[in-house]
Amino acid sequence: MPSVTIDGRKYEFEGHPRLLQFCLDHGIEVPHFCYHPSMSVPANCRQCLVDIGAPVRSRATGELERTEDGEPVIRYFPKLQTSCSHTLADGQVVHTSRSSDKVARAQQDNLELMLINHPLDCPICDQAGMCPLQIQAYKYGPEGSRFEFRKTHKPKKVKLGPHVVLDAERCINCTRCTRFTDEISRSHQLTIIDRGVKNYPLTPPGLVFDDPYSMNVIDLCPVGALTSADFRFQARIWEMSSTPSIITASAKGSNCYYWVRDNLILRVTPRPNPEVNDFWLPDEDRLAYRCFNEDRPGGPEIREDGARQGATWEAACARAAELLSAAGLRSVFLASALATVEDNYLLMALARMTGGTVAGYLPHIAPGHGDGWLRTDERAPNGEGCRRLGLGPADVDALNEQIAKGEYDVLYVLEDDPVAAGLSELGAVSVILHYHNTTNRTLSLADVALPAATAAETIGTFVNVDGRAQRVVPAKAIRGAHRTLMMHMGLSRADRHGTPFDRWHNESHLINCKPSWELLPAVAGAMGHRMDYPGPRQIMDEVSSTVPAFGGATHKAMGLAGVKLPEV
Amino acid sequence: MAAKAGNWQSYKRVLLPPVRDLHRLSVYGDYGALRKALARYSPKEVTEIVKASGLKGRGGAGFPTGLKWSFMPPVDPDVPRFLCCNGDESEPGTYKDRQLMEFNPHQIFEGILISNYAISAKACYLYIRGEFADWITLMEEELDKAYAANFVGENIMGSGFSADIILHKGAGAYICGEETSLMESLEGKRAYPRIKPPFPAQSGIWGYPTTINNADTLACVPPIIAHGAEWFAAIGAPDHPGPLLYGISGHVNRPGVYEYPSGMLITDLLEVAHGMRADKKLKAVVPGGASVPVLRADMIDGVTMDANSLRAAGSMLGTAGLLFLDEDTDMVSFLRRVTRFYHHESCGQCTPCRDGTGWMENLVTRIDEGQGNTRDLDLLLDLCDQMEGRTVCALADAAAWPVRNTIKRFRADFEAKCRKAIWATETKAA
Ligand SMILES: Cc1cc2nc3c(=O)[nH]c(=O)nc-3n(C[C@H](O)[C@H](O)[C@H](O)COP(=O)(O)O)c2cc1C
Ligand code: SF4
Ligand code: SF4
Ligand code: FES
Repeated sequence: MPSVTIDGRKYEFEGHPRLLQFCLDHGIEVPHFCYHPSMSVPANCRQCLVDIGAPVRSRATGELERTEDGEPVIRYFPKLQTSCSHTLADGQVVHTSRSSDKVARAQQDNLELMLINHPLDCPICDQAGMCPLQIQAYKYGPEGSRFEFRKTHKPKKVKLGPHVVLDAERCINCTRCTRFTDEISRSHQLTIIDRGVKNYPLTPPGLVFDDPYSMNVIDLCPVGALTSADFRFQARIWEMSSTPSIITASAKGSNCYYWVRDNLILRVTPRPNPEVNDFWLPDEDRLAYRCFNEDRPGGPEIREDGARQGATWEAACARAAELLSAAGLRSVFLASALATVEDNYLLMALARMTGGTVAGYLPHIAPGHGDGWLRTDERAPNGEGCRRLGLGPADVDALNEQIAKGEYDVLYVLEDDPVAAGLSELGAVSVILHYHNTTNRTLSLADVALPAATAAETIGTFVNVDGRAQRVVPAKAIRGAHRTLMMHMGLSRADRHGTPFDRWHNESHLINCKPSWELLPAVAGAMGHRMDYPGPRQIMDEVSSTVPAFGGATHKAMGLAGVKLPEV
Repeated sequence: MAAKAGNWQSYKRVLLPPVRDLHRLSVYGDYGALRKALARYSPKEVTEIVKASGLKGRGGAGFPTGLKWSFMPPVDPDVPRFLCCNGDESEPGTYKDRQLMEFNPHQIFEGILISNYAISAKACYLYIRGEFADWITLMEEELDKAYAANFVGENIMGSGFSADIILHKGAGAYICGEETSLMESLEGKRAYPRIKPPFPAQSGIWGYPTTINNADTLACVPPIIAHGAEWFAAIGAPDHPGPLLYGISGHVNRPGVYEYPSGMLITDLLEVAHGMRADKKLKAVVPGGASVPVLRADMIDGVTMDANSLRAAGSMLGTAGLLFLDEDTDMVSFLRRVTRFYHHESCGQCTPCRDGTGWMENLVTRIDEGQGNTRDLDLLLDLCDQMEGRTVCALADAAAWPVRNTIKRFRADFEAKCRKAIWATETKAA
């Protein structure tokens, strides 16, 4: 197998890897800015320079030339080479800054030059703390600067489009943003304008940067030049904890991080997963986080004398149990494409215990919304999970009719909004509602209103349109502390313990809600049925071993990347 | 000493012959060299003849032209291939291609067509500097005439060979002259140079095999075909043969473009330009466009205008545009103007060039204004190291060379303009 020697250590390789990517894959750090694995390689930042030598072959025989001790003679390129653009060949010898002063010096020089016209407004920059320029300048850059002149000045606040704001002075001209719109989203809405040290990205005259994927350039930008209109100046990076999770606003289940401070989600960034979303997120997915913070319930409520009133969890669950027991077979259950597999599974179990009917889940379909990429027609995270549990889309018209005819006494709704879905005839039934937001239009009709934990607060499984089971873990804490959740709060942070600035014990933003996998057993318990699971992990163990469509989908197997479920 | 240019006083011009209104097709002739190439030689033979002639690129790098053509991959009928003619001439001190376009456009066209034939390309993009608006109009008119006379287009002169020439108005920046950025610009994109490899012969215009040559280079091809490779190889300096268009400027009595054999003594060329203005003494010569290292007057004795001689003297042939500077010249303000140019023209893609060229201008300006320190000179030399050989294209090198060499060769002029240090400063060269 061909091999390459990097900093004195030999590595084997296959195919034709690019040197920089090969180094990164093998844990060898090489500073770089413009290179991105999924875009073309312009080699324009010049940061990734390394010294490369190749074995010399005799012109006459084609044999490797060797020194007296039998080592191949290595001839170095006359200039340092950009590792991002260099394709490896057998026998080459590479020196990074770790084994070559020349390379270390070149990388340092480059950073000195990169910084002379950089505004250094790190103290107020959104990128500070996770800025490749900042980090690499500390690691590979010079001690100070020899630049004694006025820096070039450029516009500090340019609204490129609805979601992206440019600070042109911070731009290091890596062209990642323009390459994104040219090569990935293909909207061609960004271009570099002007020349030399004055240049920066802008929309061509008459265009607005309203690309549905525009916000990806914010993550791509290796400095704080492209900022989010939504998140700009909201928090410093080190004040937030980030939790790996998935997007629940679409059926794609794009992988993401939720960035949280004091139990408020402040931004959503993509989490690379080549099986789902590569490095990208649609703007709409990023901006859908407000539903986790805003219009959240104050606690459980039950209807007394015609009006909803606050109640204890025990009282609310007891009332639900009471209504269900009284209804007997005359209860109907609505599953939910917004709830986890675990919660839907327990709902089905509860329906079996009471002898009620499961009417399927409410479909959330916006025809034509999908784009064949990361946006989907289905606007809910778990339609596929419901279908794999054997649930179909509920026939709203039929259900309306049945309720109007008085076939049911109780409607039990799992984390959804039937009124918004067109279920208008609810006057004749008692409604038990698990809900996320007070904007839920069914809430005003509910007899028992049970605030449910959202995807950002619970543990559970969602199945995306492509049949991939993925797990969420709590990104923010809730008031009704549960041992399993508490344990996960500590474990789920990307850095395992979060930051001291994110005070998740802080009372002010704790929502008084409970995960449905805790509520459903409580209701069942109040009816005298046993539904004994320590937590969603055990529920999923049962689902994956008893429902063939979920074969192999244990929490452990899903990990952070998810598992592809068997074809059904 | 015997000049390599031989008996240049009796040299007969072939690129800019002394014919009134030469750009009239009737005066230019009948594309005899093209006719000869099509009738007598295979494409490969044309390439061999050009190789044998020793013709080297006139665009600045001096790459052997025949060799460049032979890098084109074998013809694949499904893959288009192109010739590109670089008429973006913008190097300061260089204005030879413009003269060719003005007085002898058909020789460029004819050279293009022969070269098209040699590399089996059906089209040539002729990229002309955007600022040459009048020249573009002229070239368009002349090209129309050549089309009308069937020297260009379908089935040229009944030979069965067809080729088109497409004029393209440049985007108006020095960097558009760099071959790969020229191609980007031609494709309607921003003129950012591409990294090499891949080279144009593998992936050029629209990603297809492309050969790119300077307009002057291509204008040398018809006489080579007409008179033979040996005739051409015998003109001037053997290592860089053929006629050269010497663009002479600066403090001389008769600046202008002069056609003479390569290998002329710099001192003879000064004579050609009728000597220094007002009988001033010569101080320095920049022999090949603004980017090549400046030579002090005491360095040019016996130096001839060819790659070897100039390299030995510590400079380069570049575009053979000579700038003569007299004894009154302030080398600091001269360098200030040069650094300003490269600062202004850097495309801004590479960090060292984008930020380094500006810093250089800052420093030289400060010295020129009497506010500089001697340590600035060392910093400038350091910056040259930080830029040279570390960028995508050669503009950063072209910006660094004049700085390095002007400071090295005229250090006293620079130190004289620096502030008298209030505290002791050390300088490496002192
Ligand atoms: C910054 C830069 C500017 C250049 N400008 C020109 C130009 O204006 N005209 C030109 O013919 N070549 C120019 N060149 C050289 C071209 O890249 C290329 O080498 C040349 O066109 C090749 O033609 P030749 O082989 O016939 O010399 C430039 C190169 C650089 C690096
Ligand atoms: S704005 Fe950011 S991503 Fe775009 S070119 Fe500048 S530094 Fe690169
Ligand atoms: S060296 Fe200068 S001009 Fe050339 S590509 Fe880099 S930045 Fe542009
Ligand atoms: S990462 Fe290689 S040049 Fe930018």
